[in-house]
Amino acid sequence: MKNFWRGLLATLPLAPGVVAFGLLYGMMARQVGFSPREAWAMSLIVHAGSAQFAVVGMWETAGVVPIVLTTLVINLRHLLLGASVAPYLRGLSPLWKALLALWMSDESYALAIAEYERGQGDHLYFLGANVGIYLAWTTSGLLGALLGAAIPDPSQYGLDLFFPLGFLGLLTAFLKDRIGVAVAVATGALALLGTVFVPGKWIIIVAGLLGSGLGLALEEVERAWISS
Amino acid sequence: MDKLLIFFGMALATYFTRYTMIAVLGREVPPLLQRWLRYVPPAVLAALVVPAALAPQGRLALGLPAWAAMAGAFVAWRTRSVLWTIVGGMAVFWILWMLGA
Repeated sequence: MKNFWRGLLATLPLAPGVVAFGLLYGMMARQVGFSPREAWAMSLIVHAGSAQFAVVGMWETAGVVPIVLTTLVINLRHLLLGASVAPYLRGLSPLWKALLALWMSDESYALAIAEYERGQGDHLYFLGANVGIYLAWTTSGLLGALLGAAIPDPSQYGLDLFFPLGFLGLLTAFLKDRIGVAVAVATGALALLGTVFVPGKWIIIVAGLLGSGLGLALEEVERAWISS
Repeated sequence: MDKLLIFFGMALATYFTRYTMIAVLGREVPPLLQRWLRYVPPAVLAALVVPAALAPQGRLALGLPAWAAMAGAFVAWRTRSVLWTIVGGMAVFWILWMLGA
Protein backbone atom coordinates (compact mmCIF):
# COMPACT_ATOMS: atom_id res chain seq x y z
CA MET A 1 0.00 0.00 0.00
CA LYS A 2 2.95 2.29 0.60
CA ASN A 3 3.57 2.39 -3.13
CA PHE A 4 -0.05 3.27 -3.83
CA TRP A 5 0.32 6.41 -1.72
CA ARG A 6 3.70 7.19 -3.29
CA GLY A 7 2.07 7.04 -6.72
CA LEU A 8 -0.85 9.15 -5.60
CA LEU A 9 1.45 11.80 -4.09
CA ALA A 10 3.64 11.83 -7.20
CA THR A 11 0.69 13.29 -9.13
CA LEU A 12 0.60 16.40 -6.92
CA PRO A 13 3.09 18.47 -8.97
CA LEU A 14 1.01 17.72 -12.08
CA ALA A 15 -2.34 18.32 -10.37
CA PRO A 16 -2.51 22.11 -10.95
CA GLY A 17 -2.21 21.50 -14.69
CA VAL A 18 -4.91 18.82 -14.63
CA VAL A 19 -7.15 21.06 -12.53
CA ALA A 20 -6.69 24.01 -14.90
CA PHE A 21 -7.67 21.86 -17.87
CA GLY A 22 -10.54 20.32 -15.90
CA LEU A 23 -11.96 23.73 -15.01
CA LEU A 24 -11.70 24.83 -18.62
CA TYR A 25 -13.39 21.64 -19.81
CA GLY A 26 -16.24 22.07 -17.32
CA MET A 27 -16.82 25.64 -18.43
CA MET A 28 -16.78 24.71 -22.10
CA ALA A 29 -19.19 21.84 -21.49
CA ARG A 30 -21.62 24.27 -19.87
CA GLN A 31 -21.46 26.50 -22.91
CA VAL A 32 -22.64 23.76 -25.25
CA GLY A 33 -25.56 22.96 -22.97
CA PHE A 34 -24.31 20.29 -20.57
CA SER A 35 -25.62 20.40 -17.02
CA PRO A 36 -22.90 20.24 -14.32
CA ARG A 37 -23.95 16.68 -13.64
CA GLU A 38 -23.60 15.73 -17.32
CA ALA A 39 -20.21 17.40 -17.61
CA TRP A 40 -19.11 15.50 -14.52
CA ALA A 41 -20.53 12.23 -15.85
CA MET A 42 -18.49 12.53 -19.05
CA SER A 43 -15.29 12.94 -17.04
CA LEU A 44 -16.16 10.10 -14.67
CA ILE A 45 -17.05 7.72 -17.51
CA VAL A 46 -14.58 8.67 -20.26
CA HIS A 47 -11.62 10.22 -18.38
CA ALA A 48 -9.71 11.35 -21.47
CA GLY A 49 -8.93 15.07 -21.43
CA SER A 50 -8.03 15.94 -25.00
CA ALA A 51 -10.78 13.71 -26.41
CA GLN A 52 -13.37 15.32 -24.14
CA PHE A 53 -12.27 18.77 -25.24
CA ALA A 54 -12.55 17.81 -28.89
CA VAL A 55 -15.97 16.23 -28.40
CA VAL A 56 -17.37 19.20 -26.49
CA GLY A 57 -16.10 21.41 -29.31
CA MET A 58 -17.99 19.38 -31.93
CA TRP A 59 -20.99 18.51 -29.75
CA GLU A 60 -23.54 20.79 -31.38
CA THR A 61 -22.77 19.73 -34.93
CA ALA A 62 -21.57 16.12 -34.84
CA GLY A 63 -23.43 12.84 -34.46
CA VAL A 64 -22.60 9.81 -32.36
CA VAL A 65 -20.33 8.10 -34.88
CA PRO A 66 -18.03 11.07 -35.53
CA ILE A 67 -17.86 11.67 -31.78
CA VAL A 68 -16.82 8.12 -30.98
CA LEU A 69 -14.39 8.01 -33.92
CA THR A 70 -12.79 11.29 -32.86
CA THR A 71 -12.34 9.89 -29.38
CA LEU A 72 -10.73 6.79 -30.84
CA VAL A 73 -8.33 8.71 -33.07
CA ILE A 74 -7.26 11.16 -30.38
CA ASN A 75 -6.60 8.31 -27.97
CA LEU A 76 -4.73 6.09 -30.43
CA ARG A 77 -1.46 7.19 -28.83
CA HIS A 78 -2.48 5.09 -25.83
CA LEU A 79 -1.77 2.01 -27.95
CA LEU A 80 1.88 3.04 -27.86
CA LEU A 81 1.82 3.84 -24.17
CA GLY A 82 0.12 0.53 -23.42
CA ALA A 83 2.66 -1.39 -25.48
CA SER A 84 5.55 0.21 -23.64
CA VAL A 85 4.26 -0.54 -20.11
CA ALA A 86 3.00 -4.01 -21.05
CA PRO A 87 6.33 -5.78 -20.31
CA TYR A 88 6.24 -4.43 -16.74
CA LEU A 89 2.70 -5.71 -16.20
CA ARG A 90 3.40 -9.21 -17.48
CA GLY A 91 3.18 -10.95 -14.11
CA LEU A 92 -0.14 -9.38 -13.12
CA SER A 93 -3.56 -11.03 -13.19
CA PRO A 94 -5.92 -10.10 -16.05
CA LEU A 95 -8.05 -8.20 -13.57
CA TRP A 96 -5.14 -5.98 -12.53
CA LYS A 97 -4.21 -5.31 -16.16
CA ALA A 98 -7.80 -4.36 -16.94
CA LEU A 99 -7.92 -2.09 -13.91
CA LEU A 100 -4.63 -0.32 -14.69
CA ALA A 101 -5.69 0.24 -18.32
CA LEU A 102 -8.98 1.83 -17.24
CA TRP A 103 -7.58 5.12 -15.93
CA MET A 104 -4.20 5.19 -17.63
CA SER A 105 -3.58 8.80 -18.67
CA ASP A 106 -0.56 10.45 -20.31
CA GLU A 107 0.44 11.82 -16.93
CA SER A 108 0.03 8.70 -14.84
CA TYR A 109 1.66 6.58 -17.53
CA ALA A 110 4.66 8.90 -17.61
CA LEU A 111 5.01 8.83 -13.82
CA ALA A 112 4.66 5.06 -13.67
CA ILE A 113 7.04 4.21 -16.51
CA ALA A 114 9.70 6.56 -15.12
CA GLU A 115 9.40 4.80 -11.77
CA TYR A 116 9.55 1.36 -13.42
CA GLU A 117 12.74 2.44 -15.21
CA ARG A 118 14.26 3.46 -11.89
CA GLY A 119 13.44 -0.03 -10.62
CA GLN A 120 11.07 1.30 -7.98
CA GLY A 121 7.75 1.01 -9.82
CA ASP A 122 5.02 -1.50 -9.29
CA HIS A 123 1.30 -1.91 -10.03
CA LEU A 124 0.27 -0.16 -6.80
CA TYR A 125 2.36 2.89 -7.67
CA PHE A 126 0.80 2.89 -11.16
CA LEU A 127 -2.69 2.59 -9.68
CA GLY A 128 -1.98 5.42 -7.23
CA ALA A 129 -0.87 7.68 -10.08
CA ASN A 130 -3.97 6.73 -12.11
CA VAL A 131 -6.27 7.47 -9.19
CA GLY A 132 -4.57 10.80 -8.41
CA ILE A 133 -5.01 12.09 -11.96
CA TYR A 134 -8.55 10.69 -12.14
CA LEU A 135 -9.59 12.51 -8.95
CA ALA A 136 -8.02 15.79 -10.08
CA TRP A 137 -9.60 15.57 -13.56
CA THR A 138 -13.13 14.57 -12.54
CA THR A 139 -13.39 16.95 -9.56
CA SER A 140 -12.10 19.96 -11.45
CA GLY A 141 -14.44 19.20 -14.38
CA LEU A 142 -17.40 19.33 -12.03
CA LEU A 143 -16.08 22.50 -10.41
CA GLY A 144 -15.58 24.19 -13.76
CA ALA A 145 -19.12 23.31 -14.79
CA LEU A 146 -20.52 24.67 -11.51
CA LEU A 147 -18.51 27.88 -11.72
CA GLY A 148 -19.56 28.34 -15.32
CA ALA A 149 -18.17 31.53 -16.72
CA ALA A 150 -17.07 32.94 -13.35
CA ILE A 151 -13.35 32.26 -13.87
CA PRO A 152 -11.34 33.54 -16.79
CA ASP A 153 -9.35 31.45 -19.23
CA PRO A 154 -6.66 29.50 -17.25
CA SER A 155 -4.33 29.32 -20.26
CA GLN A 156 -3.89 33.08 -20.00
CA TYR A 157 -1.89 32.49 -16.82
CA GLY A 158 0.20 29.79 -18.43
CA LEU A 159 -1.49 27.03 -16.45
CA ASP A 160 -1.57 24.83 -19.55
CA LEU A 161 2.24 24.76 -19.35
CA PHE A 162 2.19 22.52 -16.28
CA PHE A 163 1.93 19.39 -18.44
CA PRO A 164 4.75 20.06 -20.89
CA LEU A 165 6.97 21.13 -17.99
CA GLY A 166 6.08 18.04 -15.99
CA PHE A 167 6.76 15.85 -19.02
CA LEU A 168 10.08 17.63 -19.44
CA GLY A 169 11.00 16.71 -15.87
CA LEU A 170 10.07 13.09 -16.51
CA LEU A 171 11.91 13.01 -19.82
CA THR A 172 15.29 13.27 -18.10
CA ALA A 173 14.78 9.77 -16.66
CA PHE A 174 15.07 8.42 -20.23
CA LEU A 175 18.10 10.37 -21.43
CA LYS A 176 20.63 7.96 -20.00
CA ASP A 177 22.71 7.53 -23.15
CA ARG A 178 23.40 9.14 -26.51
CA ILE A 179 20.67 7.13 -28.22
CA GLY A 180 18.04 8.28 -25.73
CA VAL A 181 19.02 11.90 -26.34
CA ALA A 182 19.00 11.42 -30.12
CA VAL A 183 15.53 9.85 -29.96
CA ALA A 184 14.14 12.74 -27.89
CA VAL A 185 15.66 15.42 -30.12
CA ALA A 186 14.59 13.78 -33.38
CA THR A 187 11.05 13.01 -32.18
CA GLY A 188 10.61 16.49 -30.76
CA ALA A 189 11.68 18.06 -34.06
CA LEU A 190 9.41 15.72 -36.02
CA ALA A 191 6.43 16.46 -33.78
CA LEU A 192 7.08 20.18 -34.12
CA LEU A 193 7.16 19.97 -37.92
CA GLY A 194 4.02 17.85 -37.86
CA THR A 195 2.17 20.26 -35.62
CA VAL A 196 3.02 23.20 -37.83
CA PHE A 197 2.26 21.53 -41.17
CA VAL A 198 -0.28 18.75 -40.54
CA PRO A 199 -3.62 19.27 -38.81
CA GLY A 200 -4.82 16.84 -36.17
CA LYS A 201 -3.40 14.78 -33.35
CA TRP A 202 -1.99 12.02 -35.54
CA ILE A 203 1.47 13.43 -35.29
CA ILE A 204 2.02 12.27 -31.70
CA ILE A 205 1.60 8.63 -32.65
CA VAL A 206 3.50 8.94 -35.95
CA ALA A 207 6.39 10.79 -34.32
CA GLY A 208 6.34 8.33 -31.41
CA LEU A 209 6.56 5.35 -33.78
CA LEU A 210 9.27 6.83 -35.99
CA GLY A 211 11.27 8.26 -33.10
CA SER A 212 11.32 5.05 -31.07
CA GLY A 213 12.10 3.11 -34.27
CA LEU A 214 15.08 5.41 -34.76
CA GLY A 215 16.28 4.45 -31.28
CA LEU A 216 16.25 0.79 -32.22
CA ALA A 217 18.00 1.51 -35.52
CA LEU A 218 20.74 3.50 -33.80
CA GLU A 219 21.17 0.72 -31.28
CA GLU A 220 21.70 -1.75 -34.14
CA VAL A 221 24.20 0.58 -35.80
CA GLU A 222 26.12 1.00 -32.56
CA ARG A 223 26.17 -2.74 -32.02
CA ALA A 224 27.51 -3.39 -35.54
CA TRP A 225 30.14 -0.69 -35.00
CA ILE A 226 31.39 -2.23 -31.76
CA SER A 227 31.51 -5.79 -33.09
CA SER A 228 33.36 -4.84 -36.29
CA MET B 1 -30.19 10.16 -21.25
CA ASP B 2 -28.75 9.50 -24.69
CA LYS B 3 -25.81 11.64 -23.60
CA LEU B 4 -24.89 8.82 -21.24
CA LEU B 5 -24.91 6.35 -24.15
CA ILE B 6 -22.52 8.56 -26.10
CA PHE B 7 -20.26 8.83 -23.04
CA PHE B 8 -20.13 5.05 -22.79
CA GLY B 9 -19.32 4.83 -26.50
CA MET B 10 -16.45 7.24 -25.97
CA ALA B 11 -15.32 5.29 -22.91
CA LEU B 12 -15.31 2.09 -24.94
CA ALA B 13 -13.20 3.67 -27.69
CA THR B 14 -10.81 5.01 -25.07
CA TYR B 15 -10.59 1.72 -23.23
CA PHE B 16 -9.84 -0.11 -26.45
CA THR B 17 -6.74 2.05 -26.99
CA ARG B 18 -5.59 1.67 -23.39
CA TYR B 19 -6.18 -2.03 -22.84
CA THR B 20 -5.41 -3.70 -26.20
CA MET B 21 -1.63 -3.61 -26.03
CA ILE B 22 -1.50 -4.42 -22.33
CA ALA B 23 -3.67 -7.48 -22.96
CA VAL B 24 -2.03 -8.62 -26.22
CA LEU B 25 1.56 -8.18 -25.08
CA GLY B 26 0.74 -9.88 -21.80
CA ARG B 27 2.83 -12.98 -22.35
CA GLU B 28 6.15 -13.11 -24.13
CA VAL B 29 7.18 -9.81 -25.69
CA PRO B 30 9.63 -10.53 -28.55
CA PRO B 31 13.12 -9.18 -27.64
CA LEU B 32 13.34 -6.91 -30.68
CA LEU B 33 9.94 -5.37 -29.87
CA GLN B 34 10.97 -5.01 -26.26
CA ARG B 35 14.12 -3.10 -27.20
CA TRP B 36 12.09 -0.89 -29.53
CA LEU B 37 9.51 -0.18 -26.84
CA ARG B 38 12.21 1.07 -24.48
CA TYR B 39 12.50 4.12 -26.73
CA VAL B 40 8.78 4.86 -26.71
CA PRO B 41 8.71 6.92 -23.49
CA PRO B 42 11.42 9.44 -24.50
CA ALA B 43 9.89 9.67 -27.99
CA VAL B 44 6.32 10.25 -26.81
CA LEU B 45 7.34 12.67 -24.05
CA ALA B 46 9.41 14.73 -26.49
CA ALA B 47 6.54 14.68 -28.98
CA LEU B 48 4.24 16.11 -26.31
CA VAL B 49 6.68 18.73 -25.00
CA VAL B 50 8.29 20.31 -28.05
CA PRO B 51 5.15 21.39 -29.95
CA ALA B 52 3.54 22.68 -26.72
CA ALA B 53 6.61 24.83 -26.09
CA LEU B 54 7.46 26.07 -29.58
CA ALA B 55 4.11 26.00 -31.37
CA PRO B 56 1.35 26.24 -28.73
CA GLN B 57 -1.18 27.61 -31.24
CA GLY B 58 -0.07 25.36 -34.07
CA ARG B 59 2.27 27.99 -35.47
CA LEU B 60 5.97 28.35 -34.75
CA ALA B 61 6.31 30.96 -31.99
CA LEU B 62 9.21 31.95 -29.75
CA GLY B 63 6.95 33.28 -26.99
CA LEU B 64 6.59 32.87 -23.26
CA PRO B 65 5.96 29.10 -23.40
CA ALA B 66 9.23 28.65 -25.29
CA TRP B 67 11.24 30.60 -22.70
CA ALA B 68 9.49 28.80 -19.86
CA ALA B 69 10.29 25.44 -21.46
CA MET B 70 13.94 26.38 -21.95
CA ALA B 71 14.21 27.34 -18.28
CA GLY B 72 12.38 24.11 -17.43
CA ALA B 73 14.79 22.08 -19.56
CA PHE B 74 17.74 23.59 -17.70
CA VAL B 75 16.18 22.85 -14.30
CA ALA B 76 15.23 19.33 -15.44
CA TRP B 77 18.81 18.70 -16.52
CA ARG B 78 20.25 19.94 -13.20
CA THR B 79 17.69 18.51 -10.76
CA ARG B 80 15.92 15.64 -12.59
CA SER B 81 12.88 16.61 -10.54
CA VAL B 82 9.36 17.04 -11.94
CA LEU B 83 8.37 19.48 -9.23
CA TRP B 84 11.39 21.77 -9.64
CA THR B 85 11.07 21.69 -13.41
CA ILE B 86 7.50 22.95 -13.15
CA VAL B 87 8.42 25.54 -10.51
CA GLY B 88 11.39 26.84 -12.54
CA GLY B 89 9.50 26.96 -15.84
CA MET B 90 6.44 28.65 -14.34
CA ALA B 91 8.59 31.16 -12.44
CA VAL B 92 10.17 32.27 -15.71
CA PHE B 93 6.76 32.36 -17.41
CA TRP B 94 5.16 34.49 -14.71
CA ILE B 95 8.12 36.86 -14.37
CA LEU B 96 8.17 37.52 -18.12
CA TRP B 97 4.37 37.76 -18.15
CA MET B 98 4.37 40.39 -15.43
CA LEU B 99 7.12 42.30 -17.24
CA GLY B 100 4.69 42.38 -20.13
CA ALA B 101 6.91 40.41 -22.49
